[in-house]
Amino acid sequence: MTMNEPLSSASSCDDEPQYMAPPPEENIVLRARKLNFYYGTSQALHEVDLPVEKNKVTALIGPSGCGKSTLLRALNQIYALYPKQRAEGEIIFDGQDVLGGKVRVDSLRERVGMVFQKPTPFPMSIYDNVAFGVRLYHKKSKAQMDELVETSLKRAALWDEVKDKLNALGTGLSGGQQQRLCVARGIAVEPEVLLLDEPASALDPISTAKLEETLTQLKKDITIVIVTHNLQQAARLSDYTGFMFLGKMIEFGPTGALFSTPKSQRTRDYVTGRFG
Amino acid sequence: MNRALRRRLANYIFVGACLLATGLAVLSLTSLFISLFWNGFSGLNMLTLTKDSGLIAAQDPNGPQLGGLYDGIVGSLVMSILAMVAALFIGIFAGTWLAEYAGESHTGNIIRFLNDVLLSAPSILVGLAVYTYIFIVMTWHNTPQYTYSGLAGAAALAILALPVIVRTTEDMLLLQPAQLREAGVALGASRGLVIRQIIWRAARTGLLTGGLLAFARISGETAPLLFTAFGNGQSIALRHFISGIADKTSALPLLINSLYQSPLTVNFAWTAALLISLAVLAVNILGRFLARGSRHS
Repeated sequence: MTMNEPLSSASSCDDEPQYMAPPPEENIVLRARKLNFYYGTSQALHEVDLPVEKNKVTALIGPSGCGKSTLLRALNQIYALYPKQRAEGEIIFDGQDVLGGKVRVDSLRERVGMVFQKPTPFPMSIYDNVAFGVRLYHKKSKAQMDELVETSLKRAALWDEVKDKLNALGTGLSGGQQQRLCVARGIAVEPEVLLLDEPASALDPISTAKLEETLTQLKKDITIVIVTHNLQQAARLSDYTGFMFLGKMIEFGPTGALFSTPKSQRTRDYVTGRFG
Repeated sequence: MNRALRRRLANYIFVGACLLATGLAVLSLTSLFISLFWNGFSGLNMLTLTKDSGLIAAQDPNGPQLGGLYDGIVGSLVMSILAMVAALFIGIFAGTWLAEYAGESHTGNIIRFLNDVLLSAPSILVGLAVYTYIFIVMTWHNTPQYTYSGLAGAAALAILALPVIVRTTEDMLLLQPAQLREAGVALGASRGLVIRQIIWRAARTGLLTGGLLAFARISGETAPLLFTAFGNGQSIALRHFISGIADKTSALPLLINSLYQSPLTVNFAWTAALLISLAVLAVNILGRFLARGSRHS
């Protein structure tokens, strides 16, 4: 990897991204390469590289405003809703450059799902919430859909709590349940990648534990990228962690190594709680 | 005077002023309803509700006893429904465009400004404008007898209801969190589908409120109907609905206006006023009921 080559004498250690033991090339399912991102004229990401390994959990950490959510939102093009936001560089998914304009954005989003910071249940029944995404792509019989809704809710560890009230409004659930409903909705379309933007930040500790349990179960067959402010959560959940600061990827590597023996001084300061 | 006492005094004065203002508002509203019932309730009988007012009601000394308000009830109902259907259809789409697509664009801001102007336009101007357009068209078409019609009245009312609906629709849609839209789009749904199936549904209580406000605004309007529906002593017969609505049409506010002119018929004017108030009240209660029902279902 070019990033690991000796640094030129002019640049200090902290200005160049540190990549420790990146995932094997053939296992990378999604990758951002030299990604620059702009909100109007202000640049939020600078030449960011992010390799995402299949069926692993990749965590993005860093202080507020460092660009980790922006990076996540670039991966499934959700920023394209806003005309003033744009990305430059490459985002490669399934061998194709997503930014090249050749990949249909709705089919990309079918395969790269997203769960947001605040729970976003739709104003419809629990059942319809889960079925919503599926109905966009597949015509299923009632029985098939019933089964899919049940499996999705089970995988999201919500089934037992809602099985008797599938026709009740999704917005009537508690915050933690709503968030797991959003996970169920996201995985019902069977995405290959699930992006989670601080999914536990609005939840209490018990709901957070349940959500983490859900994610641990899910990573068997779904690739997960999670943005989190909670360092313990990143350490508990993830296989790889990227530390970002001021729109740059400072350090990326296996989670254990990044937390125990970070190469960059900034990463060390952040993971030991000295700043951020 | 120490500080605690001063604060307590200031607090009493403030709460007192609030109470006084609320009391005045409630008092005027109650006195309105009392006088409506006092003067109008006696006229509220089957005869009034089923007989037409008749063109001669105001001139014939026996007229008031013979006539009723049926034509006005039917006319108001038909014109209000037509106006609301048209205004809701156009208003919700226009409001949606402003909230979801226009953003801070130049066109969007111009439309918002014009809508605000229309929102505060005197209703008599709207009536005059509609009258003028239709007069020109009908004269050119050689059918000036159709200048006044229930359709024209409905159009004038729709124009009055429209800006209310556009405004509330835009405001209510903007209240919906951006993350709800993103969540829909993140599943691969198109913007339009997200708006139709998620955003409208999330905002339905607000959209309903907009409709109610608009209905309340147009239900008592008289001025725009003077030049458009004009008034007619006969009710629209269901069998001749189209020709009825294409002709001069009665409306309760118009009846109030004409019946109030004569001491013989003044009580009927009160009854008509009572009917309008009850209709607005009923629609409001119904709306609240529907809004609550949708939240708990």
